[in-house]
Amino acid sequence: MSWTEVQTLGVKAASGAGVPPAQALAFGAMLARHIADEGPQGAVAAALSKPESIVALAHRVETIVEAASVTAKPVDAREEDAGTRAMLVSWLSALPCKAELDIAGPKVRVSLSLSEPSARGRPERLHLDASLSEQLNALAAKTYVPDSDASRSGGAGAGLMELD
Amino acid sequence: MRLARMGQMMPTRLSFLRVLVRRLCTERAKVRRIHWVMSAEGHGQAAYAVDLGGHTYSLVAISNDLPADQRSDRVIATAWDAAFVLFDGVASPDDIARIAGQAPKQEAGRFSPRDLVLSRANKSVRMWDAIVAALRAGAQPDLRMVCDIGYLMRTTAVYGNGKFGIADRSLIADRPGLEGPFAAEMLTVYLIRHFTLDLVQHVGGGTLDPDLARHIGIGNATGLGMAPFLVNHPVLLHNWMQARETALARVLARETMTEAQGARLRTLARRAQHHLADWIVPAEDHNDILRQLESDWASFLPHFDTVPANRPFAALWHAAADESETLQELLASILIEICPEDVDDLAQDMGDRFGPLIVPFADTEALKMAIETKWGWALAHDYEDADQCRRFWYVSEAKLEPRLGDRFAEPGAELETPLDIARRVAQLYADLTNGAVPVSEFTKQHPDHAHAINRVALLHRYSYAEIRDNLIAATCRPIDMLRCKLSFFGATKFDPKSDLWTRITLAQGAPLGDELRPEMDDWWLPAMER
Repeated sequence: MSWTEVQTLGVKAASGAGVPPAQALAFGAMLARHIADEGPQGAVAAALSKPESIVALAHRVETIVEAASVTAKPVDAREEDAGTRAMLVSWLSALPCKAELDIAGPKVRVSLSLSEPSARGRPERLHLDASLSEQLNALAAKTYVPDSDASRSGGAGAGLMELD
Repeated sequence: MRLARMGQMMPTRLSFLRVLVRRLCTERAKVRRIHWVMSAEGHGQAAYAVDLGGHTYSLVAISNDLPADQRSDRVIATAWDAAFVLFDGVASPDDIARIAGQAPKQEAGRFSPRDLVLSRANKSVRMWDAIVAALRAGAQPDLRMVCDIGYLMRTTAVYGNGKFGIADRSLIADRPGLEGPFAAEMLTVYLIRHFTLDLVQHVGGGTLDPDLARHIGIGNATGLGMAPFLVNHPVLLHNWMQARETALARVLARETMTEAQGARLRTLARRAQHHLADWIVPAEDHNDILRQLESDWASFLPHFDTVPANRPFAALWHAAADESETLQELLASILIEICPEDVDDLAQDMGDRFGPLIVPFADTEALKMAIETKWGWALAHDYEDADQCRRFWYVSEAKLEPRLGDRFAEPGAELETPLDIARRVAQLYADLTNGAVPVSEFTKQHPDHAHAINRVALLHRYSYAEIRDNLIAATCRPIDMLRCKLSFFGATKFDPKSDLWTRITLAQGAPLGDELRPEMDDWWLPAMER
């Protein structure tokens, strides 16, 4: 899959799981970076089945960014669970700004340059495990509104269709 | 930045197709036909190659025999007259065979990172049949019809940036000539136009007069799918508007006008008058606006003959202060056209490579102040009023296209796409209490407000990032968002079919594939000489 496909699917899946819009958007970006960096896909699957954990993770990142905005010093975080830690690292790595991470066991030392763009590249292709892909697609499908006569008439290109 | 004005915008020399063709002209590029297996009726395969910025790109075109009852502009269509892929490199026979197996399936196909853009198009049957008939009779088509319709085919989707497995934009965004927004899509559209001209001459067995061929562009039918893009890409929207406004400000700040600029201004002002006369649409309300503009522009033309020596461009702008927004937008477009040296460098800053670089607010007081300073327009509405929240944006299960519903009459509002930015910011403001606390403390209690907080932070840094209107009001007209975005693409001859979708013309007047030279970049609001 392309980066954009994975990211978009991640946003929709998080939304389908009940995650609020801002956190779902950030989750999508995290997912693509996580897959690109070969992070554990099981951790993502587990998070999606517990959407409040995604909101909590988003909040942790927000506090780190907030702290980084008032100090030039690195910000320290600690996460014992390896899967959650990997997602935290992916989340921080997916920020649009430059992020330098120093990981030692459960400790993550974060240096953010909020006004400097990230220079991280993106691979041509990302590979999702079949089970995670299935879970993501099932959750994404929950965000779609089933077709109805009213929705069809309100769709793009509806109305008069003269041949020109 | 209100929808009413965005809905009157005109293409400029900063429009993406214009920027691309200018680059092709600067490089004196040549479009080469590298593959052609086509029946007498025009069904088969073709490929074209063009060099741009040190890279070669190919358009692979698959032309099908489409029954008339399957020809539809709707995104839910499943068959088209032609399907296209912009390929990275010179397409080999194997590449063409692979693309021929996938491109006609469009959204149901799978593509590779060497496929950069996917598109499809339907014929304008009336124009197609008439030109084929004329060429077969050894004649040229009727000029009036060419002006009225303006294209042989219209695209109904142009997909880029990773969709269905094609290359992510990030993979090509550094390439010379493709740095600008939608540059690969514009290259595709330009080459599709070239293909349609080639194809009609093949089927008609004759050659079109180049002056006439140049006036045949490529059509496009665009619907709601394009509208959420502007909301979902706030930094891009800011960069586009910033470039446009900077261009206009630079021109208006000029102290004097050269004789050559004055002459060019008068030439283009009269060309615009001809263009408006040719721009006739079936929808009565939109045609009334155009006829009014035509009349107003005719009345405004004498200003171009009596421009004062001091601050001439600003004087023209001030002369239009009491004119309609429609006329003002046309005037902005012509002023930007006159001074390329003030304008063209701005095109390089219209992309967004990184996403939003925003700094968090110090605390909730700072957040509150930012809302009070820049979001008064959002706080002014009563979102409990049914007409202020009647619409809801959503993604339909059928082909995943964005749609707009009536929350009081249709199911699905609980799955609303978060384009209700104004309402969200008003709700955020209502929940902010007095006293400064860290924003993260507030979002811990109110995680649903994080989206609105992000938007406030975005607008704090990027002044043009937000459409300053209530996008869920009963009065919201998505067509205004489409017009804005399409004007940045370089669209002309907007032909709205409802408030939800429009047809347009691209590349009308643009140099042909063998005419890409610097002196040919003169096709702002083209008008056919009679």
